This record gives sequence, C-alpha cells and structure tokens, in this order.
Amino acid sequence: MTADPLLAVRGLTKTYYGLTAVDDLTFAVAAGTIVGLIGPNGSGKSTTIDCISGFQRPDVGRWFLRGTELTGRPAHAHARAGVARTFQTVRAYETLTLLDNLRLAVQEHDGVTWWQSLARSVSWRDAEAEATARAHELLGVVGLTNYAGAPAEILSYGQRKLLTIAASMMARPALVVLDEPVAGVNPTMIRRVEEVIRRVNAEGVTLLIVEHNVDFIMRLCGHVIVLDAGKKLAEGEPAEVRGDPRVLAAYLGRGRASREAARRD
Amino acid sequence: MTAAGRAARALGVSAAVLALLGPLLLPGEYPATLGISIATFAVLATGLNLVYGYTGLLSFAQVAFFGIGAYTSALLVVQRGWSLWVAFVAGGIVAALLGLVVAHASLRLSRHAFSIVSLSLALLCLIVARDWVSLTRGPMGLPGLPAPRLLVPGLGAVAVDRPGVFYGVVLAFAVVALAATHRLVHSRVGRALVAIKLNEALAQSHGVDPLRYRLLAIGVSALLTGMAGGLFVFHLTIVDPSIFDFYYTETMLIMVITGGPGSFWGVVGAAVVISALPDLLRFSTDLRMVLYGIVLIAAVLAFPGGVGGWIARRRLLRWRRALS
Repeated sequence: MTADPLLAVRGLTKTYYGLTAVDDLTFAVAAGTIVGLIGPNGSGKSTTIDCISGFQRPDVGRWFLRGTELTGRPAHAHARAGVARTFQTVRAYETLTLLDNLRLAVQEHDGVTWWQSLARSVSWRDAEAEATARAHELLGVVGLTNYAGAPAEILSYGQRKLLTIAASMMARPALVVLDEPVAGVNPTMIRRVEEVIRRVNAEGVTLLIVEHNVDFIMRLCGHVIVLDAGKKLAEGEPAEVRGDPRVLAAYLGRGRASREAARRD
Repeated sequence: MTAAGRAARALGVSAAVLALLGPLLLPGEYPATLGISIATFAVLATGLNLVYGYTGLLSFAQVAFFGIGAYTSALLVVQRGWSLWVAFVAGGIVAALLGLVVAHASLRLSRHAFSIVSLSLALLCLIVARDWVSLTRGPMGLPGLPAPRLLVPGLGAVAVDRPGVFYGVVLAFAVVALAATHRLVHSRVGRALVAIKLNEALAQSHGVDPLRYRLLAIGVSALLTGMAGGLFVFHLTIVDPSIFDFYYTETMLIMVITGGPGSFWGVVGAAVVISALPDLLRFSTDLRMVLYGIVLIAAVLAFPGGVGGWIARRRLLRWRRALS
C-alpha cells in the first residue's frame, strides 16, 4: 500500500445502544484498486460504509479522501468531494426517466448555479449536453440503452442494480462504494456487473465493494478486507485471505473450519 | 414530451384560456369576480404544488403565507401610505422570510416536523390576527381598503376600482407567477426537488443538499402566495382574521390532490375547475354543496393519483407494452 492512499480510515468505532457494530477499524484503499470488504452478517460492513459516505455518524474515528478530512461532513458533501455510493436496498428515482436518473447524479458536480440553469445559460446547456452524452454512454455499458426515455419503475430488480451502478459512475468520482452490487442478481447479470466494474476501474475509478458473494469478490478484487464483529480479522490478497483459518472460522464456525482445514491438508 | 403529457398540457392550457377570456367577454361584474377568484386560486394551488407536489413537504402554512401577505400589504397601504404595487411585493417578502425561518428550524428534525409546525403556524397566525387588536383591529379587521391607482401611459393614474380592471391586474400577476414556477419546476432545480421527494438518501448520495432545495421551494411558494394574498384583499376591500380560514387550506389541498401532485398543468386545470365549480352548481341552491362533494368524490375515485397521476400511469403502461 502506498504512503498516501486514496481513502484512509482511522480508528472507526460505532455503537448502537451498547452493541459495538464497528470496533476501532483502521484501513486504507489505494488509488486505482478494487478492494473487497467482506464478513459474515452483522460484522459491520454496512455500518462502515454508511459512516465513510456520511450517512451515519460514528462515535470515534476519522477518514480522509486524498488527504482531505471528511469526518463529520454531511452525506451530500461526501458525494461532492468524490465519494459515490450505491445502497443495499436498490434505490432509483422511480417515476423519472433513466436519463434523468443519471443526469441527477452529476448535476451537483458541474458547477452550474441555480441562476444559470433557470436562465438556461450557455454553461447550463453545455453541462446538460455533456451529462446526456455521458448518460447514454453508461446506459450502453450496462445494456439499458433501449430504456433511456422510460421511467425507472419499469426496470427489473437486476436492471435497477445496473442503473444504480451506472449512476454512481456518472460524476467520475474518485471512489465508488458499492453495497452488495450482485445480491439477488442472476448469473448473467452478475457477469455484466463484473464487466462494468472492470471497465470503470480501467478508466481510473477506485472501488470499494461490500459483497456476500465471495467468488465475485475473489475474481474482481486485488485486495480484500475481512471484518468480524466490527474488527478487522484479516487483510490481503484474495488467495491468502481465503486460506486464513480465522476467516474460515468466522464464516463457517469453528468446528467445520477445522474439518475444512484438515481436508485441505 | 409524451402524447399523454401533451394532452394534459392541452387540457390545462384550454381551461386556462377559457378562464382568461371569460370575464373579458361576458358582461357584468360577476364573471370578473369569479375570474379574480380563479386566478388567485391558480397561484395558491401552484404554490402548494411546488412545496407538496414537487418537493414532498405537506405544508399547512400556505394559508398563513396568504394571510400574512394580505395583512402586511393592507397595513403598509393604510398606515404607511405605501402604494399597493410596492406593498403587495413586501407582503410576499415578509411571508417568504417567515416561511424560511419556520422551515429552517423544523426541517432540521424531519419533514413530518415541518408539517406539524406549518399547521401550528397557520393556527398561530389566526390567533395573532384576532388578538393583537392594536395592530390588526382584531375581529373587526381593516375595512375600506382603498382602490389602488395604476399609472397607464396616455391615461394618467387610473383607479383600479372595478372588478373588470382588477381582474386584469390579478391575471397579469398570476401569469407571471405561474410562468416563473413553470420555469423553476421544469429546470434541473425542479428535477432535484422531485429527486428529493422520491428518494432523499439517493439524492444526498448524488450530492444534492435537501435542505437548501427545500428552503428554495418554500421561499418561492411563500413569496408568490403572500403576493397573491396582498392583491386579493384589495379586491375584497377588507382584511380580517377570516383570511386565515381553514377553507383556503382545504381548497388548495383539494386542487393539488385532484390535479395530481407534481403535475403543473394538472393542478392549474384543477384550480380553474374547482374554483368555478361551486358557481357552476348554483342552479340548485339547496344541493349545491352536496353536488360539490359528489363531484370531488367521483374525481378521487376516477383519478386516485389525480389527473397527473393518471397520465403518469398511462405513460408507464405504454412503455410496458412497447418493451414487452
């Protein structure tokens, strides 16, 4: 890991009524990588990404994007600083068209003021044209071109996931945090999501992915962080993490983990 | 724009044009009086539509903005000798400032808190108007508001004392107010307002600051509603605490709900029809309000999402057919 990572999280702690969801968690995400954040249910993955995207306030902890502290700033400020995210429960602007869904994801980033957009100024027109072109391009990447003018409510569950992933890429953010991008998605669609992620990563986007589908994570990520009970259990390349007995224990339970380990030997 | 959207627009535009021309073509004062009422309610309903239909904040404070605009403009004219043309703008500004303060305080909690606080504000305004006798003269109100004078090139100062002339003034204001709102809701600002209504967390994750946009919607809505109140009482020639009557709140809500929250022309059309409806039913004096109720129930049964919701539904079904 380089000296100055894209995202640095230090000592993150969050408790709910005495239950510690995240416990003194420190990690970093290097620029240009795809990092997986995995762990059993209740291990604190969702709380972690909710905190670092400004949707929850942790009790303790600081986090930095390219060295700029984002601790304590509201969610919309995180988005403008370059942290885009998706949600575990699929969210879309149901009655708006796909194009508007995507254009909304970028309109707070292009510096066009209210007055400029109300006066339909040249800068507004240029920004909208650019956003529309980018939206068409991303709809092509996720295979939803035919639906560009349709309201989002017409899409299936898997298509909505693709739409939200496309929306998270609209503003060319520094970091995209995906919360379970392939949960409940059929295998064909999973391959498509994978393709999209590889493609935007090749464009220079860094990704942090929370996912239960371990095979998906192992295929995509160069670096994996494993959480258990709010603490970092293991970290490293997919292959090392996969063989780590502590990780097996957390996922499978201690008895089965030792049998698995014995079987491998 | 889709065919159904064009149909809605055509419906709204033709209803509006009819309402515009009626009072000018028909003889007597009655059509002009009805026209003033229609134009005023078109602005009031559009103001509520901006806050509730587009931004998703149920506001009961619209009648407070209306009454505050009315009292401010009446007091400035009567006690300070201001011209109505300045005073009614001041009324709108006072209403907007109050709206912003109340909204900023309550929206820090939740949008439900905003609804409750807005209701309290409307009730509080009624009490203040009734009990602050030294300022408002209490239940007696401020009667005999003078007819404003309008400088017309070539004619000099003309007293706007006949309903026909006053209708022209209110109509001009309504056209400007509706055009401004139309521009707002069809801009990317309006798009962000709808986004906040549909999914606040998603909007935040896209960098939209919900508070800033909501304050804008409330400020603009209160400004236009206050200005409408400031003009309207000079047609009545009196302002008293009944300007804060629940009747206005109820009527605005009926217009927005039957027109379809978030549908610009749907709500304008509903405002025109519903303002005129009690008068159209005048043929049966005894059953007038019963028939009014029946028409409203029928409208809600036929269009559960309002006219605008019905159109959106058809658009969705057309896409389903096209893509299946």
